[in-house]
Amino acid sequence: MEGIIKKKLENGINVYLYPTDKFKTLTFSFFIYRDLEEENATKNALIPFVLKRGTKNFPTARKLTRYLESLYGADLGADVVKKGERHIIQILLNVVNPNNLEKDRDVLDKSLDVFREMILEPYIENGCFKRQYVEQEKDVLKRIIESLFNDKYNYAIERCLQEMCKNEPYSIYKYGNVKDLEKINEQNLYDYYLSVLKTSPMDIFVVGDFDYDIIYEKLNKLFNFKRDEKPLKPISIKKDVEKEKFVEEKQDVNQGKLSIGLRTNVKYGDEDFYAMVVLNSILGGGPYSKLFQNVREKASLAYYAFSRLEKSKGLMLISSGIDFENLNRAIEIIKIQIEDIKKGNVTDYEYKSALKDLVNSLKQAKDSPASIISLYLDGVINGIEESIDEYIEKIKRVTKEDVVSVAQNIKLDTVYFLNKKD
Amino acid sequence: MKLIDDIKEKVLANGLKVFVLPMKKYNKAIAVYSTKYGSIDSEFVLPYTGEKLKVPEGIAHFLEHKMFDMEYGNAFDKFAEYGAESNAFTSYNNTTYYFSTTSNFFESLKVLLDFVETPYFTEESVEKEKGIITQELRMYEDDPEWQVYLNLLKSLYHNFPVRIDIGGTVESIQKINTELLYKCYETFYHPSNMVLFIIGPIEPKEVLEFVGQHEEQRKLGAQSEIKRIYPEEPETVFQKEVKIYHSVTQPLMLLGFKDVDLGYDGEKLLKKDVIISILLDIMFGKSSETFEKLYEEGLIDDRFGFSFEAYKDYGFCSIGGNTKDPERLAQEIIKSIRKIKAEGLKKEDFEIMKRKFIGDFIQSLNSLDFIAHSFVSYYHRGINMFDFSRVLYELEFDDVMNYLEGFFNEDRMSISMVLPRK
Repeated sequence: MEGIIKKKLENGINVYLYPTDKFKTLTFSFFIYRDLEEENATKNALIPFVLKRGTKNFPTARKLTRYLESLYGADLGADVVKKGERHIIQILLNVVNPNNLEKDRDVLDKSLDVFREMILEPYIENGCFKRQYVEQEKDVLKRIIESLFNDKYNYAIERCLQEMCKNEPYSIYKYGNVKDLEKINEQNLYDYYLSVLKTSPMDIFVVGDFDYDIIYEKLNKLFNFKRDEKPLKPISIKKDVEKEKFVEEKQDVNQGKLSIGLRTNVKYGDEDFYAMVVLNSILGGGPYSKLFQNVREKASLAYYAFSRLEKSKGLMLISSGIDFENLNRAIEIIKIQIEDIKKGNVTDYEYKSALKDLVNSLKQAKDSPASIISLYLDGVINGIEESIDEYIEKIKRVTKEDVVSVAQNIKLDTVYFLNKKD
Repeated sequence: MKLIDDIKEKVLANGLKVFVLPMKKYNKAIAVYSTKYGSIDSEFVLPYTGEKLKVPEGIAHFLEHKMFDMEYGNAFDKFAEYGAESNAFTSYNNTTYYFSTTSNFFESLKVLLDFVETPYFTEESVEKEKGIITQELRMYEDDPEWQVYLNLLKSLYHNFPVRIDIGGTVESIQKINTELLYKCYETFYHPSNMVLFIIGPIEPKEVLEFVGQHEEQRKLGAQSEIKRIYPEEPETVFQKEVKIYHSVTQPLMLLGFKDVDLGYDGEKLLKKDVIISILLDIMFGKSSETFEKLYEEGLIDDRFGFSFEAYKDYGFCSIGGNTKDPERLAQEIIKSIRKIKAEGLKKEDFEIMKRKFIGDFIQSLNSLDFIAHSFVSYYHRGINMFDFSRVLYELEFDDVMNYLEGFFNEDRMSISMVLPRK
């Protein structure tokens, strides 16, 4: 049976080891957890970009890349992830398992050394990050923040969440904001990074075919640095909706993008959570779902219409691309679907298909290192330690009545529409 | 070193090719059923009547949507009942249907075979689909990355139908009716034009027997070869440059070269595919001098990319991405190509890149989805994707050098830009 083994390094970093002989690679994910907050969001977002520019022994991105290429294309990346009100810096290493190579069997140790270096020994000049790198990466980050506007589909989703969670940390974009970039320089960013390394809760995940004692010892040696961990703030999810908001924005677009934000008031870790997961699938999880059947198949209004959960914040988001003149009809159809679930109008077909789809997806997740890590990460953030099989069992136990009962918690908060210019 | 188990294959009496690759350790099984029929097959001779037909743009994709309709309802519903996830896509060259599942494999396989082998179209459902596909096309109209790509193809080609959007246009799909759909189906969905690929924790013998019996019951005779009519295409490009204005904050630029070394498939095509891909990576990848220079100048970031498409009847590469100055980026790319042509490549760079390609290939074998879809796409071009590592291994530095001069010919180059609206 597959499963995860949890250990602690001597300095308190958690290590989650998932041994399996399924994959031809070894995957390492280093997570640094921060509170999602206005003050530091842009710095958190910038750090991975600067780390990728160079390390002590590989002072330029070009040299670093070339070395990784020679290690059979080992992937070493860094990015920032937003899950609920956690802002997570992630450094990821994917390397061919030396078992699959006839020579160069030292690729794992060599890759792990660079992995460590990227985190603990980034390239330093005059006692801080290299000025030129920080300035260039500020410009890159600015472009990335601004280019959300190019991507209308995600723009409409992000804007809806921002409007809905105004005055809550969750409204902060995962890449921060342009105006805070001005205040960042090579010195204050480096100082901040040192405090991040010292105080942040951290986990390392490993997936692949390995001996866990050996891997544990390697990690213990590599990441043996002094820490003084400070706890993170609790995530708040309960929020009353006083009045439904409607927000409209106008741009030069060919299709209207409708996003609807709802409060589920249930997050991973709550007893009701699994029923909410099933509910979400019934509403908008696949071709069997109410949104697909009614918005797309019956009314022919859209190509896509789905719902998804933000598991760590108690939110649900519905998204659909429609003709501008069909806005009211689409909203009406969507609202009827939600009301129907609340009233218990859920067919056996919808309920059973949702359960089977979820079980199938969770079992399939075990076939991908990235999905395995992502599922466990959701658990860790919310203080839950359960295996994928335990998750599956809890989903299977959800009844139709559970779904109807948890549906009563759902409140529509914000309707956002990206409309065309008059 | 043996990376995967042996593939079992069988050609059935009606011409269908079946491949089974056991992957015992995985949870999911995937079946992919694909026909060599895509959007470029817009003019052809019907094998039964000899009638020559030019069909509306976007019909292969429309047909893909409508294949899921069955007299009993919708094939999606049956997959949902068995807990399988199903989907389909249409490319310039192929139409591909597939499912993945962790339970009820044979039941799901029967659903797949039945629905792809049973055309069932009504005027009413065809009319309804026009609304859905219109929204799909509108979605792509709002996607600047797709627009910059489409426009590059429109500029590279005078007549060849790869210059036409796979989905057609909102106007062209209005001309589609049941009669045309049946004619396309009858021409291109004969088993001799199709392939079935199955991968997962399954017993090849059992699968081959099951498919064999199923196909025998269809009692289909042989079909004569399909005559596809492609227009004359000059070696020159249609236009050197195209600019469109879109609702973006950041411009996009793609520069492409048209391949005129055409007319073959099989291993020769695979070799060309590998050569150009390696060339592009050496010239523009993250370890290249050009990438480093353009990055430091703020002209590109990690979203910069390149690709090569190798088919018997057409081929092209594209290079580019988001940039603040598309004109300058294009000029810099051209300058760097001239410089590389004048100075040549370094053998050492080639050897390192070979190693990276081997590693990437091994890494890609983690994903059953990747294997299934690549296998089928290459199969339709007479290529066995598992020959990749041998072809790569045998590749000599001179093979790559020989392509440098001929392929990057500025007379066969076009530049496509998407610029912000004023």
